[in-house]
Amino acid sequence: MQETYSAIGKSVPKIDGRVKVTGQAKYTADLKFPNMLVGKILTSPHAHAKILNIDTRAAERLPGVKAVITHKDVPDRKYGISPARFDENIFCIDKVRFVGDKVAAVAAMDEETVYQALKLIKVDYEILPAVFDPIEALAEGAPQIHEPYPRNVNTEIHQKFGDVEGAFSKAHHLRTDRFVGQRTYQCPIEPHAAISMWAGDKLTVYASTQSPHYFQYYLAREFDLPMGNVRVIKPFVGGGFGGKLEPTGLEFAGAALARITGRPVKMFYDRHEMFAHNRGRHRQIMEITTGVDREGKILGVHANFIMDGGAYTSLGIASAYYAGALLTLTYDFKNYKFDMLRVYTNLPACGAQRGHGAPQPKYAFESQLNLIAKDLGLDPIEIRLRNARKPNTITPNDFKVNSCELIACLEKARQISGWSEKKGKLPQGRGLGIAVGSFVSGAGYPIYRTNLPHSAALIKVFEDGSAATLYTGAADIGQGSDTILCQMAAEAMGFNYEKMKVVSGDTETSTHDFGAYASRQTLMSGAAVKEAGEMVKKKLLEMAGEMMKVDPTELDCKDGIIFLGNNPIITQMTFAEAAREYFVRNGPLAGRGAYTPPKLGGAFKGAAVGTSPAYSFAVQISEVEVDRETGEVNVKEVWDVHDCGTVINPSLLHAQVHGALYMGMGESVWEEVVFDPDGKILNPNLSDYRLPTALDMPQITSALVDSYESAGPWGVKEVGEGATIPTMGCYANAINDAAGVQISSLPLSYEKVWRALREKEEKP
Amino acid sequence: MDHIEDKDGFKRYLIHLTVNGDPHTLVVKANTILTNVLREQLDLTGTKKGCEMGNCGSCTVLLDGRPIDSCLLLAVEADGCAITTIEGVAQCDELDRLQDSFVNNAAVQCGYCSPGMILSAKALLSKNPNPTEEEVRMAIAGNLCRCTGYVNIVKAVLTAAQSSEIRE
Amino acid sequence: MYIQDFDYYRPATLKEASKLLAKYGDQAKVLAGGTDLLPKMKNGMLATTILVSLKSISNLSEIEYLQGKGVVIGAKATHNDLVNSSLLQERYPSISEAAHVLANNQVRNMGTVGGNIVNATPSADLPPILIALDAQLTLFGINGQRTVPLENFLIGPNQCAIKKDEILTHIVIPDQPSTGSSYLKFGLRRSGALAIVGVAANVVARGATIEKARIVLSAVAPTTMRAKGAEQLLTGKTVTEPLLEEVGRTAALECRPISDLRSSAEYRRDLVRVFTKRVLRKVLKLEDVQEEGVRDHGPY
Repeated sequence: MQETYSAIGKSVPKIDGRVKVTGQAKYTADLKFPNMLVGKILTSPHAHAKILNIDTRAAERLPGVKAVITHKDVPDRKYGISPARFDENIFCIDKVRFVGDKVAAVAAMDEETVYQALKLIKVDYEILPAVFDPIEALAEGAPQIHEPYPRNVNTEIHQKFGDVEGAFSKAHHLRTDRFVGQRTYQCPIEPHAAISMWAGDKLTVYASTQSPHYFQYYLAREFDLPMGNVRVIKPFVGGGFGGKLEPTGLEFAGAALARITGRPVKMFYDRHEMFAHNRGRHRQIMEITTGVDREGKILGVHANFIMDGGAYTSLGIASAYYAGALLTLTYDFKNYKFDMLRVYTNLPACGAQRGHGAPQPKYAFESQLNLIAKDLGLDPIEIRLRNARKPNTITPNDFKVNSCELIACLEKARQISGWSEKKGKLPQGRGLGIAVGSFVSGAGYPIYRTNLPHSAALIKVFEDGSAATLYTGAADIGQGSDTILCQMAAEAMGFNYEKMKVVSGDTETSTHDFGAYASRQTLMSGAAVKEAGEMVKKKLLEMAGEMMKVDPTELDCKDGIIFLGNNPIITQMTFAEAAREYFVRNGPLAGRGAYTPPKLGGAFKGAAVGTSPAYSFAVQISEVEVDRETGEVNVKEVWDVHDCGTVINPSLLHAQVHGALYMGMGESVWEEVVFDPDGKILNPNLSDYRLPTALDMPQITSALVDSYESAGPWGVKEVGEGATIPTMGCYANAINDAAGVQISSLPLSYEKVWRALREKEEKP
Repeated sequence: MDHIEDKDGFKRYLIHLTVNGDPHTLVVKANTILTNVLREQLDLTGTKKGCEMGNCGSCTVLLDGRPIDSCLLLAVEADGCAITTIEGVAQCDELDRLQDSFVNNAAVQCGYCSPGMILSAKALLSKNPNPTEEEVRMAIAGNLCRCTGYVNIVKAVLTAAQSSEIRE
Repeated sequence: MYIQDFDYYRPATLKEASKLLAKYGDQAKVLAGGTDLLPKMKNGMLATTILVSLKSISNLSEIEYLQGKGVVIGAKATHNDLVNSSLLQERYPSISEAAHVLANNQVRNMGTVGGNIVNATPSADLPPILIALDAQLTLFGINGQRTVPLENFLIGPNQCAIKKDEILTHIVIPDQPSTGSSYLKFGLRRSGALAIVGVAANVVARGATIEKARIVLSAVAPTTMRAKGAEQLLTGKTVTEPLLEEVGRTAALECRPISDLRSSAEYRRDLVRVFTKRVLRKVLKLEDVQEEGVRDHGPY
């Protein structure tokens, strides 16, 4: 749908670009308050141990130390981010469950004193046997990590749609393949930090957060406060990627320390503590069975997965459901079975990381589909075209897909990558791979059960009409929601983006919003903003109608100019003139909006997870060169073609594709969190946990297909996570094409490729 | 080096730093790291802490014009040096062409790596006004970014380099 | 993170510095660029109570040619000083290239060649090419100066034959005939990565016949090591692909790699075979005869 918009569809510079490039932007740890103390958390050196005794006296006596707290000094109410599994405490009470589990905290006058005080806290542990593998954790006699969960089963899922056994019996070709995904970590460049302070009964927390609302909600719950007494403020955030959606110990411990000392307390994690806190991507063992007909059309799929959940639930239940739920999106098949066990182990907890459980299953599925294509002698693009979902269809697990331009994406990707000219004709050691993906544009249901709207927005026009302020609880964590929501507000009002101001991410001064996760804000927060802007415009045009003695329904407003529909040049008034007059006569010119998704999804257990008002679709093709002597994987070029509906800001959109692809890329070949035999992370640093550098990048082409989503304001859908989903499968398929080896576990490291090549050489 | 000792035996040293052209005299301990001096004592929080081990580059400052990781420099070792932080890049209210280019080319997402990134790029352009793409990547390889995939950052640096050429 | 407090000395002369080191012995560490020292101190891997800084000592950073001696590199010269030195680029470009693959730009602006040597990390990137070029070290102590071949100086992981009171002041590359030298590094990403394997070679050849060869390996033994068996195999021979393969295999058998979180010993061993061949081909300017589709590594 081609429409001319005045504020959206434009690559306007970010509203916060200037403050970021000048160093003026304040992130949580940059903030300073009078009388502020510094605090840190003492963590467990053992993976599984009873706490026998904690002696804090020496730490308390250290000059400069103002408070030392343990579980005795804080509420013992169990918390978490998944209401179905509240299994964490602010500080461990009877035992610790992973290396890095929270034991105590210190507040002191300066950083050095805090570090020294932590060393003086004496904890007596009785070490217990620990388990680090989900299959071992399920076995008879394995150490039990949480009492209420026998066999360490945290989440068990069995979903069945259609008749998978029947489909398999009819299949012309049936394959079962096993893949393993690795544990990775979001690794935002900004470490977690929180500053807590009390004023009487009122708690204020500045936090590096993706959701001020969830932080507010869980802090209020933990400390038994009405939500109105908890204010959470999000300063600038240096990336979250899913790891900053839930309160860490820093907010809870900080609040307790601030109450005891009566002073603001700044708490933070060092890089290695961030790794230990983790809440990143689960390691998954994935067995997939797929049956196809003679033409390669998928008849049925059985996904049988096990997830290593680590010591706590975090966002893991949702990740467990998403892992299987989203596999039905890209290809149209009716028969599907999904079995999942999310298992506790004595390792840092895993949560939600960009793509929320879906990227690794997609790696497995896309790799298998390639193998099936090879078995049948089909081109990888051809088999995908035959199975691609079409618009206005419903998946077997009851996800309603409106817009879907997957086929257009496949065609375009084939064309711009030169697939037909290159496939099978590249020099030795080079190959092409393809994978597709799909993701939700916001979750159909919030994290805790509530009937609150998912987003709300307020717009206030300045008294003389020279500016307007958007109030939104949406969290800009770098993806640019402040910017695009201002564009949307301006578009809805007929105003200028350049004159917009924004107040966001403060539970007291902005509006309710669930925050940045599941790629929800463009669609959901945007819908609320659109409604608010349209309300302003309606009031404004009514005012202008009175002033111009004209029927308001004949008027329109664009770019700050109000004009008569059939006489745009002559009969004009400015937005500012009408707005000012409105204020004079009526008081503040304001608009409000809210968004609640329609009731979505089926009635079966877990049906809610994976529901969304809209789904994005993407295709990635990569050209890879494999050094056959060393196994070195050199990704030369990647093409990403996205169906993400209407584009609010093209340059920011493509920037998100670059970033999402970059994270998928890192996890494909370079990243993995590794442990020693005692459950301690071996590489909790940015030297051995290898994020790709500027020198490691391929050429990236990010392209779009025309698309319009009826469920989204102006037809928008998500893009923030969609480009992470195909990448691992894309690279695995490219390596297979380049070197003739299938790497069945992530990361697709150089050494694994080398080993596979050597094994291949040895076979007769 | 001259120092004063307090009653607990902790030694403090007097150092002289020029930061963004401003002379400062500061009292530090031997174990005080330059990043902390800039952020805590001078309130210049544009320089960030990301890993504190010299791997991420978010603490990058220019020391006598050369990009270094301030997290690996003791304040006492910086004595007598001229330091440029991100706060010293824009002149009064006018953005440096690199800063402009970053904003206009969507090279800033969360912005946490941007100060260090801009300083690395600025040092490159002052030595090599017309770099190749490979040279740009080499110059910023010590600045990790988790948001952009470096795509627009490289574009922004190359665009800034070209724009100054046109002016001349 | 923080570092435990320590006493800081900034002597103005080498003499003063060695007196301090002699006085404090094991308690003291020398501080040059700090890029190895500070991370270790922050990690708690090193607790030192005294740092003796070389900051105020002059004449330790120059790179110059001295008639009768050779190229003299000051120990305080940073890695980027080596990269940017026109003298090195002219006489021993392989040293500039080796310095360029270290760490990243910021660390190269602070870290010193002296530090890279004295820290004696088994995977260090400068010792291999320096040993291949027969580098001689000048050490200054309370009893005066002495010269030691770098080859004999590295004695174990993070251990070198420096005396407690000594400071490494200069690295001398003696004048020598050389057809070519180079260092190839294999790391797990293109910047900020330790060598999984590194191979340096320096040959004197007449046409395709090798008169003299030095092959030095990084990251596959407790210290940087010469692959003497491989060198002997090469000496006096005319280079062919089968000979290169044999030389590579010999070097691979000679080395003693370990498995760690980055890679297995088996992988490292095979990489030694591959990169010994590649660096020799590079130094002798031979085409990649066997492998098509293999990227030309250049200095990295």
